[in-house]
Amino acid sequence: MNRRDFFKIVTTVGATAATAGCQEAGEKILPLVVPSDQLVPGVASWFSTVCRECPAGCGVIAKNRDGRVVKLEGNPDHPVNRGALCGRGQAALQHLYHPDRFTGPQRRDGNALKSLGWDEALNTVSDRLSQARGGGKGKAVALVTQLENGSLGTLLDRWTQALGTRPRVTYEPFGHEAQRAANRAVFGRDAIPYHAFEDAEVVVSFGADFLETWVSNVGYARGFGRMHAFREGKAGTFIHVEPRQSLTAANADEWVRNAPGTEALVALAVLKMLADGGAIDKRFADAAGALDVKKAAEEAGVEAEQLKHIAEALAKAKPALVVGGGAAVTGSNAVALHTAVALLNSALGAVGKTVRFGPDAAYGRVTPYAEVAALVQAMANGEIDVLVIGAGINPGFTLPGGLKFADAVKKVGLVVSFANRPDETTALAHLVLPDTHWLESWGDYSPRGGVIGLMQPTMLPVRDARAFGDVMLTVGRAALGITEEGKGPLPWASVEAYVKTTWEPVVKDQWSAALQHGGVWRDTPAAALAPKVGAVAGGAPKLDGDASGLTLLAYPSFRFYDGRGAGSSWLQEVPDTITQAAWDAWVEVPADVAAKQGIANGDVVRVTSPHGSLEAPAYVSSSLHPRAVAIPMGHRYAPYHVRGGRYVTATSTPTNPMALLPATPEPGGGTSYLAVRVTLTKTGARRPLAILQGTHDQEDREIARHVDLPAAREQALRGKREEHPDYSMYPPQQYPGYRWGMSVDIDACIGCQACTVACIAENNVPIVGKAQAAYGRQAHWLRVERWAEGKAEHAHNTFLPMFCQHCEVAPCEPVCPVFAAYRTDEGLNGQVYNRCVGTRYCGNNCPYHVRRFNWFNYEFPSPLDVQLNPEVTVRQLGVMEKCTMCVQRIVAGKDRARDEKRAVKDGDIQTACQQTCPTNAITFGNLKDPQSTVSKHRHAARAYDVLDEIGTRPSVTYLKKVTRGGGGHDTKPPARGGHA
Amino acid sequence: MAVTEPRAATPTFGDVNRDVVATLRTPGNLYFAWMCVIGLLLAAFLAAWTYQIYIGMGAAGKRAPQMWAMYITTFVFWIGIGHAGTLISAVLYLFRARWRTSIYRAAEAMTIFAVMTAGLFPLIHAGRMWFAYFLLPYPNQRYLWPNFRSPLVWDVFAISTYLSVSTIFFIVGLIPDIAALRDASTGWRRRIYAMLSLGWEGSDDQWRPYRRAYGLFAALATPLVLSVHSVVSWDFAMALVPGWHSTLFAPFFVDGAIFSGFAMVAVLVIPMRYFFGLHAYVTDRHLDYMAKLILVTGLVLTYFYVCELFTAWYSGDHFEKASLFWKVTKNYAWALWTMYFCNCVAPLIFFWKRARTSVPIIYAVSILVLIGMWFERFNIIVPSLAHGFYPYTWGIYKPSATDTMIVVGSFAFFFLLFLGFIRVMPSLSIVEVKETLPPPMKERHGHGHP
Repeated sequence: MNRRDFFKIVTTVGATAATAGCQEAGEKILPLVVPSDQLVPGVASWFSTVCRECPAGCGVIAKNRDGRVVKLEGNPDHPVNRGALCGRGQAALQHLYHPDRFTGPQRRDGNALKSLGWDEALNTVSDRLSQARGGGKGKAVALVTQLENGSLGTLLDRWTQALGTRPRVTYEPFGHEAQRAANRAVFGRDAIPYHAFEDAEVVVSFGADFLETWVSNVGYARGFGRMHAFREGKAGTFIHVEPRQSLTAANADEWVRNAPGTEALVALAVLKMLADGGAIDKRFADAAGALDVKKAAEEAGVEAEQLKHIAEALAKAKPALVVGGGAAVTGSNAVALHTAVALLNSALGAVGKTVRFGPDAAYGRVTPYAEVAALVQAMANGEIDVLVIGAGINPGFTLPGGLKFADAVKKVGLVVSFANRPDETTALAHLVLPDTHWLESWGDYSPRGGVIGLMQPTMLPVRDARAFGDVMLTVGRAALGITEEGKGPLPWASVEAYVKTTWEPVVKDQWSAALQHGGVWRDTPAAALAPKVGAVAGGAPKLDGDASGLTLLAYPSFRFYDGRGAGSSWLQEVPDTITQAAWDAWVEVPADVAAKQGIANGDVVRVTSPHGSLEAPAYVSSSLHPRAVAIPMGHRYAPYHVRGGRYVTATSTPTNPMALLPATPEPGGGTSYLAVRVTLTKTGARRPLAILQGTHDQEDREIARHVDLPAAREQALRGKREEHPDYSMYPPQQYPGYRWGMSVDIDACIGCQACTVACIAENNVPIVGKAQAAYGRQAHWLRVERWAEGKAEHAHNTFLPMFCQHCEVAPCEPVCPVFAAYRTDEGLNGQVYNRCVGTRYCGNNCPYHVRRFNWFNYEFPSPLDVQLNPEVTVRQLGVMEKCTMCVQRIVAGKDRARDEKRAVKDGDIQTACQQTCPTNAITFGNLKDPQSTVSKHRHAARAYDVLDEIGTRPSVTYLKKVTRGGGGHDTKPPARGGHA
Repeated sequence: MAVTEPRAATPTFGDVNRDVVATLRTPGNLYFAWMCVIGLLLAAFLAAWTYQIYIGMGAAGKRAPQMWAMYITTFVFWIGIGHAGTLISAVLYLFRARWRTSIYRAAEAMTIFAVMTAGLFPLIHAGRMWFAYFLLPYPNQRYLWPNFRSPLVWDVFAISTYLSVSTIFFIVGLIPDIAALRDASTGWRRRIYAMLSLGWEGSDDQWRPYRRAYGLFAALATPLVLSVHSVVSWDFAMALVPGWHSTLFAPFFVDGAIFSGFAMVAVLVIPMRYFFGLHAYVTDRHLDYMAKLILVTGLVLTYFYVCELFTAWYSGDHFEKASLFWKVTKNYAWALWTMYFCNCVAPLIFFWKRARTSVPIIYAVSILVLIGMWFERFNIIVPSLAHGFYPYTWGIYKPSATDTMIVVGSFAFFFLLFLGFIRVMPSLSIVEVKETLPPPMKERHGHGHP
């Protein structure tokens, strides 16, 4: 074989492997020293699995290059997420390669954890278990896991039965128990239905943060995008009721700011208005009883007009969808709220259409918090001898402070944690047996009825870890006195064997196909359910604490969920879109209160409730309800800090609002998040927040433009964008081949930051740490900006993803003295790192300020460096960098097309940001092809260029946001809304 | 001519030789004390620069959006200082302004050292200074040339041309003086001076081509006075940044440069006169002329400031107006108002003749002018970048210890060169001063000028 043949073979094999998409996993994941047919150096294999960063269970495909996973993408076939992934899913890689992952089993030695061998560790557990069993104290063994509704769950249930322990407890901090309780009462079904946002015309949410963490945020964001984003004259309406302007609220056409805890009241009032107005069956009015709408509105601090508007919108909708109850509004009246929501849906005929029982969400299988609390009580009473805590959950952090979990755990003889990184729970554990990361594990998970995702290892474990299930099988058999595999009640050698056994009858010989596909899914019909209407008491929730205090709104952070995501420095450095604060947690203080107490941004305040206190810097908010204080959950743990370009050990500044909450569950059995009033005290200390956005006011610069719905419709009919001739002394640039361009629909963008994280993952973007990020040195190639208009307390927000505009007349190019910034003949604005001297002139001259400078040599602490994309250069100190439109993907796409002897088609190439966007707000394509989506967007009526008056002629087109003229609050028509 | 007569009696040729050679004697303790301070500052400068090269540009306080800050400020400042020297030596020479003779040597030395100091800054400023040679058009295998559209490449040419022409001009002017030193010295010093004097004998057939060459260089250097700072100003004017993008910049910068250059000459010459006892040569008349020049250039500068404000307002350009309003009223307003005071108000005192002849006032105003001109560059660079087109990135620059040390150290570098120079070379042109004196006659000469 000569050299030429060799290359031919390599390229052919490579192309085949690349185009084949998801590859079947081998029986064993092979290390690089063993040659494998499947492993072609330099060509990626894709393995499909299920994301386990939250219980939504999105399908994931993992890109494995040379034996190492370097990027995650949503599985395009998976019905939950259809290729999209949120920032947390994108950042899962950082947990896989986390520098702090345990290098093997750990045993408690005083305050520290010391390494020990697996045999010794397993023996410790099995001895203890057989002792407990022998002593007839099987019930003194408790097993707590995260939501595992697949094979692992049933395997563990068999384990508990075999050993005669307590039944397994499935603990999820956000279990939606109240919703289940309400559905039980109204429909007789203990389930969380599937909410078909995509089919709704009007969505009304009572505090449900469905674009952030609520049930299935990626899937619902996708549905919301399809329902809400302006397309061919159609656009849905979304009304959100919540005391705080959350990311979800900021996406609403109408955000109704109610008094904390009055969502149920508002929902009932709307129900009553609908019934009184004759829009729905009169019998539903019984639920509201003798509720006086005017009084309810007064109590909720909203105008009756607004309620009327909600009712009218719902009455007109075909069909409507009402959702309710994010964690932040889950208090002692949560069941009432969900009952009202269920009745509204039922009355409006949404049940069976947009509210589908049948494809029920996995959350329905969560053990209610009340039972978890009972277990903790048993622990405190000394009834528990062995406590096994599975991976993924961190009860030491997420259980309410009032429950005093840490004290209860001290009474337990042996606490075994399966976490693979140190957390607040391993700090209480006697033994840590690190589980494999979900990207290294076998398993399956059913996010909703009819959809079962398959999990397979996408690479060999990074550290010395063993699968949770494997370890449980081993210690279970040992405790039962069985020395051989294949015998007794737990005969399986591993979870892998068990998964295959259970799937055998389902898939028959289609196992490989199912694995490659990512699982099995079929349509589950929606059940038709008749509601039971009873009186609902929508009173105020019970709140502990000083009556003059402010109501605490503890809400899950969309970046960290319950704290699971907090180990990722990518997520830490990506700002919260609303506050634009990165790294640190904050206490959102209403502007009035701040003014009264002299609190400024960055002042450390102490927040005290009857159950605990915490200190965190203040973020003064004009939009928060003046009787509330909001603290994000999940800000747990700063994974690693970089100071002066150097890696330094973590400094943990946990800010946990859970510490302020009482132990008492709400009536539905869930954690009561809306349960305390708190007082604020200024400590005098300062800890300025790293706020990345200079100002939310665009000062009439028309960066984020909008057009109102009627005008958008009229323009869409007229068809074309108003084009202005370009005046130039130079001949127009020629593009012999392609001309790449992008478009961003800011009407579709929900500000979820998934694109930012995907960009970081794809392009080896360094993390600079809090201090540097606060000082304008963050390295993100893509940022999601929030621009606010209107009154400060009721701002209308527009989210705008901004990245290199690849201008045709790029200000950065002529000023570069060495041609490091140059124009390619495919319309990209190139940057040659090797040529860059670092004069930073381009950075000054870029009007969008999207160029990033390497102020230091940024470190990727081992083994995070393994994740680096081998197709993208890691930049050295002193050079400029910026968005390349994922030029490596363009090259790969062109190669594929060339191998197939054709031109690149629309959709062949997807940039990382586009690929992960749940609402398809970002498009990439060839501007020379008039049929490409990006070309159509470029000439669409809504199209505009950011800062077009400078004449840079960007290759990135933005589509204006479409504002729906909502009643209720005064919508100021856009004063300078482009050519509208 | 409304100029005071020199207080000291007109010196003779012999006095000139004696007085100038006296400046080259072994200096006293005060001089060494100063050199120690300068040495320490320079060591700190080198340490800071080494640290910055090692750890990265992040050591300096730069950020987005201020990708440029104090380094470019100080670079432009020094380039500006480097203007007065050539102006005094070449332009005034061509106009036969004889009063230049006693100060032009010091001014020329100042020019060259200031340009050398300025020349450090592009290197200090570059993220990868070890690749700064990419900016030179050298032949290479990759056929890569610098981008001739970039004002930074123009800078390279403008500054290197300016430095080489003024250095040659300076050396040519020195030759007869070095020969005089050669004749007055002994031992190894004599040998060095002999080498540097290039065999100058002062014969008529040497003087004739010398005169012609000197005139030629003066003619060559004159346009450079205008070109260098115009080119440097285009670093800003060619960019889009609101507050930079203006056709006003070239004359504005040239005038500012001359303004600061004269102030620097005054700052250097006044102590020299005091310590070396050169009152006979650098007379109050000279100071008066310099003060007048400072006043005139200061008034012109004020006019430019007004133009800048007017055009920003009159253009109606949203970005320009916002940038200007922000500069005048917000975070950096103190810097802007310091600049207006130092550059527009302080020199007005020179309308009074008494101020123009008072050494302390001239000295104080000159220092203020230097401060004001440094801030002028600061105000152009830092606040303009802080409030550019895109509000997302608006932010405030904070100097760090590293860049402060480097900026302070650049003054040490300059003074090291200058103080060293005045101790080894004639800081007063022996030849040209003699030209202005009446030739020695047998009978005792009368007072005053011929």
